[in-house]
Amino acid sequence: MPPDNRGFMVAAYVVAAVILVGYALSLAIRIRAARRR
Amino acid sequence: MTLRDSAARLGRIGAGITVLAFLGLAAVYVRALVYTPVEANQGAAQKIFYVHVPAAWSALIAISVTGLLSILYLWLKDRRIDLAAAASAEVGVAFATIMLTTGPIWGKPIWGTWWTWDARLTSTLFLFLLFVGYLVLRGVLVDPTVRANLSAVIGVLGMILVPFIHLTVYMFRTLHPAPIVLKPSAPSLPGVMLVTLMSSLGVFTLLYIGFMMQRYALGLLREAREEEMANAS
Repeated sequence: MPPDNRGFMVAAYVVAAVILVGYALSLAIRIRAARRR
Repeated sequence: MTLRDSAARLGRIGAGITVLAFLGLAAVYVRALVYTPVEANQGAAQKIFYVHVPAAWSALIAISVTGLLSILYLWLKDRRIDLAAAASAEVGVAFATIMLTTGPIWGKPIWGTWWTWDARLTSTLFLFLLFVGYLVLRGVLVDPTVRANLSAVIGVLGMILVPFIHLTVYMFRTLHPAPIVLKPSAPSLPGVMLVTLMSSLGVFTLLYIGFMMQRYALGLLREAREEEMANAS
């Protein structure tokens, strides 16, 4: 029977998604601001 | 076509690639979490591997590209190469952040500790801090030539660390697992898990390309703005 550590798996996937989406948004916002100047 | 126009076009293409990569990432998440079997010894935490390894791959690719572009900049002294190197460095730091957060989340249930000061983990943290320093340095230096020269030197030094980090698991006694795909012999992973890992590696590489193009476009847009201001004054 494998150990029950599903919470760690979910945490890691959420952290990775938050960092990737956050970085993509920061790029989009900075590019939009640079285009407007 | 002006510098501003070509930068805006590059940014749009990069954004398109990034959107495509995010769709791929969603598919990889579903495949990894739902359709890839749970490993018998490590349990569900083993699946962290499908985001941790590709993030590490993209981070080390980004830092290697920064190093190669830094060498090219020191040789050719072209400002656009410096902007591309800086773009790759920033994207590399983003991927390294994923690597350095998902790693300890895997380590806690498997090793029983969030962190250990072994050669692989310590050298990876050192590389991350080096590139955070690289970005801080670029932020505080005003003279573009001094900024480009100094950051190129750090970029080259960082790249030298990449093969060292890969080899740490062979050179030192370390808790970190040895490579199971990037090694001289065949990958030691069941087929279904290998397909998930390779798909994730492809998606993270595409994310790197999309991010890199957008960040380079941002650098060019800022450069165009500086040129316009210099011409106006």
